[in-house]
Amino acid sequence: MESSIIKEYTTAEKLEILADAAKYDVACTSSGVSRSGKKGELGNASAAGICHSFAADGRCISLLKILMTNHCVYDCKYCINRASNDVPRVTFTPEEICTLTVEFYKRNYIEGLFLSSGILKNPTYTMEKMCETLTLLRTKYHFNGYIHVKTIPGAADELLARMGYLADRVSVNLELPTAESLQKLAPNKTFHTILDPMGKVRDTIAAHRTAIGKERLMERSNVNKYLTNSIFSEQTKKLTGDSKRTNLLGDTVKNTNLMTSNRGFELAPRDLGSLKRSFAPAGQSTQMIIGATGESDYTLLQTTQQLYTGFDLKRVFYSAYIPLNEDAALPALGTAPPLLREHRLYQADWLLRFYGFQADELLTEERPNFNELLDPKCEWALRHIELFPLEIMTAEYQMLLRVPGIGPKSAGRIMYARRYGSLDFTSLKKMGVVLKRAHYFITCNGKQMYRTPIEEAYITRQLIGVDYSNNWKVANADKVYEQMSLADFGIA
Amino acid sequence: MKIFTCRDRFEDMMTCIYDAWEQALVYGHEKIRVQREPIYQPSMFDEYIHVSYDMEKVQKVIRSIKSEIGMDAYVHVYYASLSDQEDALQIIYNFLRVGFAVGDAVCRMLGNPHVIRMIELKRKVGNESHHFLEFARFTSMQNEVYICHLEPRSDVIMLVGRHFADRMPSEHWMIIDDNRKTACVHPKDGQMYLRYLTDEEFSTLRKTEDYEDCYTDMWRGFFRAISIRERENIACQRNMFPIWKRKHAVEFTEKP
Repeated sequence: MESSIIKEYTTAEKLEILADAAKYDVACTSSGVSRSGKKGELGNASAAGICHSFAADGRCISLLKILMTNHCVYDCKYCINRASNDVPRVTFTPEEICTLTVEFYKRNYIEGLFLSSGILKNPTYTMEKMCETLTLLRTKYHFNGYIHVKTIPGAADELLARMGYLADRVSVNLELPTAESLQKLAPNKTFHTILDPMGKVRDTIAAHRTAIGKERLMERSNVNKYLTNSIFSEQTKKLTGDSKRTNLLGDTVKNTNLMTSNRGFELAPRDLGSLKRSFAPAGQSTQMIIGATGESDYTLLQTTQQLYTGFDLKRVFYSAYIPLNEDAALPALGTAPPLLREHRLYQADWLLRFYGFQADELLTEERPNFNELLDPKCEWALRHIELFPLEIMTAEYQMLLRVPGIGPKSAGRIMYARRYGSLDFTSLKKMGVVLKRAHYFITCNGKQMYRTPIEEAYITRQLIGVDYSNNWKVANADKVYEQMSLADFGIA
Repeated sequence: MKIFTCRDRFEDMMTCIYDAWEQALVYGHEKIRVQREPIYQPSMFDEYIHVSYDMEKVQKVIRSIKSEIGMDAYVHVYYASLSDQEDALQIIYNFLRVGFAVGDAVCRMLGNPHVIRMIELKRKVGNESHHFLEFARFTSMQNEVYICHLEPRSDVIMLVGRHFADRMPSEHWMIIDDNRKTACVHPKDGQMYLRYLTDEEFSTLRKTEDYEDCYTDMWRGFFRAISIRERENIACQRNMFPIWKRKHAVEFTEKP
């Protein structure tokens, strides 16, 4: 009798349901690790990451982003798959996931697999199933491409360790930046159960990296090497001390790799040793929901910085909250997702990682939120107008980076091009400097581009004008406008 | 003015630069131009000289670029030669003039207009090749051979092929440039090579695109499902994945 009630789903139907359920996870990056292909195997990886398509929401599709199952015993208020929701529930078999990944990969649809999951029975059981899938994919299917896996908080440590040797990036979602919000919206999760695996992964990565003679902490953008007060440069000084380090055997290691990097796999579980893989070579990441609870941008950015320095995360992602469930603790259904706010936070995140800014330079407790009309870097520059204008031919690298309209690439180009001759505004434009923003703040050979006053109020007005229509588009991306026609007035 | 012309292939272009340079030493660089064929509208008072391929000259040019300017400059020249821009060869020529004068530093002299043109050209070709290694889609022929059709503006299939040679070394696959009628062919566990296709070969290979299997459909389903309706932003999608690059991307084509 029961068999007639339970519908059998085909792989195609399961894929649609489980991709639909996974779409709210934002991390679809395939970056952070370079690995060349091998004869007899399938796949390689590129550190820059490769997108393969772009969905109708403009987000990149890089990985086959699916849940293993959307069955879930938890009842997190914001989640579409919470136990109390009535949605079709399906589970992939490990074989199904493997064939899909390999076949999609061979057709160059995807860069690898992103595997997350609802909680089936209990965390450990779920993780075990996920491990089984990945082991199959790496061994039987000889898949050498990118794998990003979400760990399930509360699962056994042995499974976490195993997972790290199979995947390239391991992540656990923080979801909300404070313990109180988490308590309110995700009653089955606690800060401790999330931060605990994050800390363990950080330590294992560090141990693994030390064993193979690399720096303890993950590689960061080269920009940080030339900066004195970026979040990564200070941390490097503090934690690594001088250039002498010791490896596991107690030998002193200089900055040369004494143990070559292909021996770290000896630390792996025995049956995975033959794969010769490092532990989570692309590091770990996390994501936070924006706008479901009342946190300020300041809190979010502080948390982000702590995650980068304390947990050595590679990336922190933000996800503008989209109301899916009706609940008194949440914004009402139909509330527009705060896309512009999400955009500002990503801009600030880049300022932390590539421009040498600190969270408390960008925001303070008195001014806890970003201005929606101006990007964070312009805002900072306007508050420090006394530092400008800056002479392009003589300015320091770290000051060049702080000029709105100049990024790491153009700053680098300016640094070496000015050694071979003087620069003018035309050549700056060719180098990629965005003059519509930069020209208020710089001089070339003592001259400004136009005669503009260095006044906060004036430049603010101008800069708001520059980006007004773009900002409006981000904030109103979901609305569609059409040209008026006579039919709108009832005239056919 | 003397205008040296050649076919649109790397070796021919290098030979052309050799011959043009030789004449320039007699008449001066300002009196010489180089251009790729076809010439759509010849000018009235210039002399056109066709140059054909000569292996010895090619090697001489490549050797002197590598030794007197540097490997970096050679990579720039190679990428620029793949571009479809009409004056690409002239840009290479001007770049080499600066290069042979200053040596290794040339790729960093971003204040120089000839150098910046070259760098823009290289960046354009490099970006295009990167886009097509993202957007290339293979059709599986009974899981035996994988075939991909592309219509790039620059001649990037070998650059794209290099990426897949590392990624799928143990598969038979082929990337076809539908406009130039060339193919990058990779046999299982072997070396890839470039092949100029005959019309008959091309029309046979053309048909492979109609071939579909269940994974093509599943990919379309996945592509639809992964997008969030509340965040829909078609302008952004078009910006990231321009329509002219979508011609052979199956997720944008309807079932035949």
